[in-house]
Amino acid sequence: MPSINPSRVTLRHHIHQSFFSQMQKITFTCFTKIIATITLVSAAAFSPVTSANDEAGKLLFLKGASPACAICHTLEAAGAAGAVGPSMNELQPDAARVVNALKNGIGQMPAYTSLTPEQVKILSEYVAKASRE
Amino acid sequence: MTNAIKISRRNLLGATVGLMAAAGLNSKSAQAQTASPVTLPAAAPAAPAVKPLPGYVSWKHAESMIVHTPTTIETKRSAIGSSIITPNDRLYIRNNLPAPSAADIGDVNAWQVNIEGVGKPQALSIADLKQMGYETMATVLQCSGNGRGLFAGKPSGTKWQTGAAGCVMWAGVPVRAVIQALGGVSNGMIYMTSTGGEKLPEGIDPNAVVVERSVPVAAMQDAMLAWEMNGEPMPLAHGGPLRLIVPGYSGVNNIKYIKRLAFTKEQTQAAIQKTGYRISPVGEKGDPSQPSVWLMDAKSWVTSPSPDNGPVKAGALQITGVAMGGLEDVAKVDVSLDGGKTWQAARLVGPDLGKYAWRQFVLATNLKAGQYDVSTRATTKSGVEQVAISAENTGGYLNSGWVAHTIKINVA
Repeated sequence: MPSINPSRVTLRHHIHQSFFSQMQKITFTCFTKIIATITLVSAAAFSPVTSANDEAGKLLFLKGASPACAICHTLEAAGAAGAVGPSMNELQPDAARVVNALKNGIGQMPAYTSLTPEQVKILSEYVAKASRE
Repeated sequence: MTNAIKISRRNLLGATVGLMAAAGLNSKSAQAQTASPVTLPAAAPAAPAVKPLPGYVSWKHAESMIVHTPTTIETKRSAIGSSIITPNDRLYIRNNLPAPSAADIGDVNAWQVNIEGVGKPQALSIADLKQMGYETMATVLQCSGNGRGLFAGKPSGTKWQTGAAGCVMWAGVPVRAVIQALGGVSNGMIYMTSTGGEKLPEGIDPNAVVVERSVPVAAMQDAMLAWEMNGEPMPLAHGGPLRLIVPGYSGVNNIKYIKRLAFTKEQTQAAIQKTGYRISPVGEKGDPSQPSVWLMDAKSWVTSPSPDNGPVKAGALQITGVAMGGLEDVAKVDVSLDGGKTWQAARLVGPDLGKYAWRQFVLATNLKAGQYDVSTRATTKSGVEQVAISAENTGGYLNSGWVAHTIKINVA
C-alpha cells in the first residue's frame, strides 16, 4: 500500500478535500477488519487512502509524460479516453508491465526515455492501481 | 471491467460521522482521491469473461469471434468453416487507429486518394478510379501478428492464434492501371508508400501514430485499390471506402482508408514503418536496419476439429484446414498425427482461387481413442516448405512454424 507522508500534507490539501472523500478514507480504516475476511486474489494494491504519488501519477499520465499517455490510452480513473492503444481498464497491467512498456516501448508505443526512474516508478504504480478502480 | 464489490458510502456514513470527528482522523489524511464509491477488487475469475462485440462491428457474427479489445477481434479456429472465402461477418478485426465513422468519410464516391511520385501526380476520387479499370482477386488477409500467441518465447502483444486471417475477394482497380494512366513511376522511386486517412489524435507528432507503410515498388504489380470486399462496399471497419490490397504482404501493409499512394525514394519516417513492424532480435527494439514485416510465408493450420470444441468421437474423422503459399500456389499439404514424426499427404479440396488465396485441404482418418499431436505442413509450387519453427522476434511477428501450430486432438 502506498504510504502517507504527513510532511507532504498541507492545509491547502485539507481545504480542497471533499467531505465524501474524507468519509471514504475513514470508513475504509474503520472497516478494514471486517473486510479482511473477504479473499482478495487480485494483484491490485488495496489502498484505504490516496497518496501524493497517485496525484503525481495521474498528472504524468495526463500531461507530464510526452506524448501524454492519455492521448492514446483510456484510463477511466484519470478521465482519459484515448483510443489509439489498448485501454488500461481492459489491460489492467501490473506495474512491472507498465515499466517495461515505458522503458522499451511496445508495438507502436515509443520508449519514454526522458522520464526519470522516479517518474517511471510513480507512473507505473499509478496505472497498475488506477486501472483496477 | 472488474466485478468490484461496491460498498455504498451511504451505508457507512451514518455509522462513522461521529467517529471521524472524535478521532480527528481527517488531520492525518493526504490528498484526496476523486470521490467515488468504495470498491474492492474482486477475486480473479476462473475463466475470462466473454466480451461483447463493440458497436462499430455489432453486425459481425458474435459466436464466431473472440474479442480481445475493441480493435483486436479474432475469428475462432473452427469458424473458418467450409467457405473458402471468409464472410465479412466472420473476418477478423485489427485496427491500429479507431475506425472512422460514415460521417467522417462523407460521400464514398468523392473520397480522394493522392497519387504521387508518378509522371502526372493527381488526386483521384473513387468515381474516377471506377472508370480507370476493374479487377477482382482473392487474397489471404493476415495480421502480421497472427500466431503470436503460439510462439514459445511468449512475446508481448495480442496473443492471436490462427484467427487473425481470412481469405477475401476484393474488387477494385489494379494499381498498375492507375499508374500507367498517370505517366508511370518516376525515376529513382523504389518504394510504394501509402497513407491511411484515419483522424489522428491531437497533441502528438503525426508520425508517431499515422498508419503509413512503405513496401518495395515491385509490389505494385499485383496491388489493387479496392472498394468492395466479398461483393459488398468495403465496410468502414475493414478500411472502407477504399483500401490498398498488396497480395502476399501482411495485413498492416494493406492500408485502410487510403488517402495517399506515393512512389518514394525512401521508406516513410512514420513510426509504424521506421521502428514498428520490424523483425527485431529478441531483446532488441525495432530499428530501420532490421527487416520490415512485409512478405508472408508458406503456412497452414487445422480448422476442424478444434481443440476448443472438446474431444471427438473415435472412428472416422475428416481433419480439415487451410494452406497458403505466400507469393506462390500451394502444391501440397502434409499432415502428421504424431507431432511431425510421420507425414501423410492431405487432399486439396475446393476451388483454386489463385496463388494469393488459400487452399482448403482434408485428411480422412480413422482414429482410436487417445491424444494426437496434429501438425500440418504446406509446400509451395517451387518446393518451398512451411518452416518447422519461425524465428522468434521481439514483436512476435510472422509465426508460421508448423511445430508451434501443432494442435492436440483428444479422441474419446
